[in-house]
Amino acid sequence: MVSAPLEIIPGFAVPFAETRLAPCERLNRELEALFLARETDEYRNPTPSHLPQAELFESRFNLFRWPEPCVQELRAFVLDCVARTVLETTRVPAAELARLRMHNHTWYHVTRYAGSFVAHNHPLASWSAVYCVRAGEAVPGQPGSGLLRFLDPRWGAGSYLDAGNRSLRTAFAFGARELRLEEGQLIVFPSYVLHEVSPFYGRDVRITVATNCWFS
Amino acid sequence: MNAPAAAPVPIFATPFAALPLAVPAALNEALAALLAARATEEQRDPETPPDPLCYRSREDLFDWSAEPVAALRREMLGALCAVVRATNLGAPGEFDRLTVQARARFALIRPDGGLPAASLPLASWCAIYCVAAPPGPSARPLSGVLRLYEPRLGSMFMDAANWRLRPPFAGGHHTWQPVAGQMAAFPAWVAHEIALNRTDQDLVLVIARVRFANPGQESAPPW
Repeated sequence: MVSAPLEIIPGFAVPFAETRLAPCERLNRELEALFLARETDEYRNPTPSHLPQAELFESRFNLFRWPEPCVQELRAFVLDCVARTVLETTRVPAAELARLRMHNHTWYHVTRYAGSFVAHNHPLASWSAVYCVRAGEAVPGQPGSGLLRFLDPRWGAGSYLDAGNRSLRTAFAFGARELRLEEGQLIVFPSYVLHEVSPFYGRDVRITVATNCWFS
Repeated sequence: MNAPAAAPVPIFATPFAALPLAVPAALNEALAALLAARATEEQRDPETPPDPLCYRSREDLFDWSAEPVAALRREMLGALCAVVRATNLGAPGEFDRLTVQARARFALIRPDGGLPAASLPLASWCAIYCVAAPPGPSARPLSGVLRLYEPRLGSMFMDAANWRLRPPFAGGHHTWQPVAGQMAAFPAWVAHEIALNRTDQDLVLVIARVRFANPGQESAPPW
């Protein structure tokens, strides 16, 4: 018997975009110095959506309105990557996208020893992104330290496992996706995806910038 | 205009139960001592990387013959069966014919440790019993809580008419503070974690996944 051709297609795919800013060292050091200098109540998010932790500083959500050149340089990179993700994943032509107004809430996190961030998503936004300014110390024996973890939105789909679905290939596999961000790395993802930061056990700091984008 | 009376009902409810078990304090102490003594490299869960801040045992705890463990198994499964009866349809006596299959492990959540999010495959129910829970600092109300993740994504559109829904319609994660002698039960598909233990002592938990089989039912896939 001749086997009929079989095409495997991702039926409910979740788009993730990954890229890197290169070189990023100068920009990241400027951002780090600025962020640490402004780790004060004046710049702290006054209305956090989750119970604040002493080990994690969250800035106000207006970061991309700061005039400092390093912030504006990062803004251009991040928002351009989000826009390119929209072009790659939708049927919106570039000319139409250019006519839309792109809004954002953007902030930074500084995480210290045993700091984490609970699983959450971002209502009223279509795309979110996380940029890594400083990855923080990788701790031997603690592979789960400071991971950005995306939760599988297909709740319960992996409840039944047997030999036929236990080892699905990456694109189709059940379960969370975990990333140890590297400096200069940017991840763009749909805002509905629940994500969290696992406890960070480095003795230094982990610094990230996050943005939520919506279009009108 | 007279508005008609509105009586909304929850249509996609997820059952959750927290209940005390009839486990004497002395038995809990014996359990805690036994589990601490057996938290060895040999007994460590081989499926997950070692974590110095969280010890997870193999999932064979309910196979142990030690009396404290056997007593806990009876109490946990008895309490879980009560929850299952309370949440299922079925004729009287029907439930008694089912076979209960359970796997369990223990976890020692060290200071600054936690258990990452997971759901439990090949089971219908998850039961988590607290053997020992150090009192959390008042400034850390979420220390060591069991957090069950909100599975509904409908809240992505939010406005003034849905951002403060009252229970049982409100979205968001559900948390339960483990208390020694108490057990939580919920469907095994619900993703859950143990938040960071912000105390200076171990949080000791027993985590079971449980399924039920009809007489003559073809066996479920192996655990």
